[in-house]
Amino acid sequence: MRQEFKGLGASRGSALGRARIRLPHALEVAEEHIAESQVEAERARLQRAIDSVRTEMHALRERLHGALAHEIGEFLDLHALLLDDPELLQGLDTLIRTGRYTADYALRLQRDRIAAVFAGMDDPYLRSRIDDIDQVVGRIHAALHSRQNGSEGVAGEILITDNIAPAELAQLQAQGVVAIITAAGSTLSHSAILARSLHLPLIVGVPGALLKVNDGDALIVDGGSGLVIVEPAPSDLRDHRLREREYIRERRELHRLRREPTRTIDGVDINLYANAESREDVAEAHALGATGVGLYRTEFLFLQRHELPDEEEQFRAYRDVVLGMSGRPVTIRTLDLGADKADRTGLALRDEPNPALGLRGVRLSLARAGLLETQLRALLRASGYGPLRILVPMVTCREEIREVRAHLKRVARELRTQGHEIADHVPLGAMIEVPAAALALPGFIGNVDFLSIGTNDLLQYLLAADRNNEALADLYTPLHPAVLRLLRDVIRLSRLRQKPIAVCGEMAGDPLYAPLLLALGLTEFSLHPNTLLELRRVIRECDLAALRKDLPQLTRARDRAGIEAWVQSHQPGP
Amino acid sequence: MIERELTVSNRLGLHARATAKLVQLLAPYRSNCTLTAKGREVNAKSIMGVMLLAAGQGTQVKLRVEGEDEEATAQAVCALFERRFDEDS
Repeated sequence: MRQEFKGLGASRGSALGRARIRLPHALEVAEEHIAESQVEAERARLQRAIDSVRTEMHALRERLHGALAHEIGEFLDLHALLLDDPELLQGLDTLIRTGRYTADYALRLQRDRIAAVFAGMDDPYLRSRIDDIDQVVGRIHAALHSRQNGSEGVAGEILITDNIAPAELAQLQAQGVVAIITAAGSTLSHSAILARSLHLPLIVGVPGALLKVNDGDALIVDGGSGLVIVEPAPSDLRDHRLREREYIRERRELHRLRREPTRTIDGVDINLYANAESREDVAEAHALGATGVGLYRTEFLFLQRHELPDEEEQFRAYRDVVLGMSGRPVTIRTLDLGADKADRTGLALRDEPNPALGLRGVRLSLARAGLLETQLRALLRASGYGPLRILVPMVTCREEIREVRAHLKRVARELRTQGHEIADHVPLGAMIEVPAAALALPGFIGNVDFLSIGTNDLLQYLLAADRNNEALADLYTPLHPAVLRLLRDVIRLSRLRQKPIAVCGEMAGDPLYAPLLLALGLTEFSLHPNTLLELRRVIRECDLAALRKDLPQLTRARDRAGIEAWVQSHQPGP
Repeated sequence: MIERELTVSNRLGLHARATAKLVQLLAPYRSNCTLTAKGREVNAKSIMGVMLLAAGQGTQVKLRVEGEDEEATAQAVCALFERRFDEDS
């Protein structure tokens, strides 16, 4: 029977699909026995489920690339080992053969036994590894219950779940999930931001969502209005098609914006730069009419290999980016790696208990002889082919930027003596992502030519909240008064000293935050090409002067709610 | 059968990454291989088994290897422990 309910639209788009309900962690499986004659069939059923999970994980691995591959890849490796774990498999086998339990109940028993041991551990890190085991066991359990056509995985399904972690989103979309509904969550969560950039319809804040729908129901989801329709009527299907057409038309109109300027209603031009880490990104940035590349990540040159890239290889990669943008400025960031990623490189770093606060970014570049020099040589040589700027990550104090500057000068001198053609002036900039650098900026702004605020890390360090920790999802937000004040001060000082300043974190790529950043005085955004045109559309509907008048009111807000209300009320129409 | 006394000397102990390294290292060897610590014996080729040992830094572990390539297996495991699981380069 037709039914409808509403949640908060967190990511636009209209989707039609089958409902797939994901129950919360604990496996609610009743004790069930099988006859001896069924034992072999049950073992085979479990084996098929495990094989299908293995195939699924393998396929996912192939589909991941870029930064996501490194982040999720590590988990996938661990999960692959767990899936083939002899203890786990033998335990299950024994339970089915001698205990005559169903594969489901065996899975639950085995999981509970392991959980009990983990729960008794003193080390909180080890204790939390039960989450990995739960994820693997959960996947096997889901595979046991996939319908007959389960081989096609979750394609065409709308996932209904309690909550969703950012890392899962891309995974699920790659598997073919067409929309997601969550009982909890907020439209400003990290997951919501990611869903918008993936153009994956998402509805959040539907209490009791899991009880309103049955597994396999046909659903229509409108991520714009937050409307969910269960078992739609013919007229609903027509509405869905109309909406879908509307979204396609919107996309097409967005496409037309490729050649339009990013100009506010009151005639101010805003610069939209692209974040990039591959040739495809650079080509897309060029095609979308980006002002330039605002953040080119160089980590991929170093990852997934055992030796460091030499000067020649780096030079060619950087030169290709510069040539790819045909005369538009390109900002290349020096290596931004820490112990969390370095085990997949030729760097051989010590494991650190806390890599986010460890030897990373410029700290690593300065600590390893030759690392920075090789990179600077390659960058300077590429500067002979077009406008290039060098951006230094993780700057904490003035000394670091001075030291890099000294290396840069020396390397430039050497290259010129060796007969290389390099640009007369290669601007050197600092990432503002360590709160100390933001606060001490008046002391070293004279030492840099430009600045780029990395809001992802800045938020994490300023708010003392890991952005991947779902339990802290509400805390990890740019809408904290301290964040706004810091952004305001950094932007204000840069403008005063006439140093170009951009924001290059995820915040810059979310159209929701564009009015807020404009109000704070920002005129340069650096974002993933995915949302560049949407941002342009939103900015073209903004009245810059009016937004800036609101700044005092905004920075007087005493809590998130006050700022959030302002953000919500300043959304230009779709 | 070969037995060796080993000490977990890497700073983080047998956490997920070190355990994964050990299990991956052992995969090509055919011998049976167990680790015993704190009165619990586990299959060293099982990531779950080794994680369940919860062996932090300084834990004494007994390695027991039995099989056709036990010499090479024991050597490989000892070397990994001595290299502190490549954490300190």
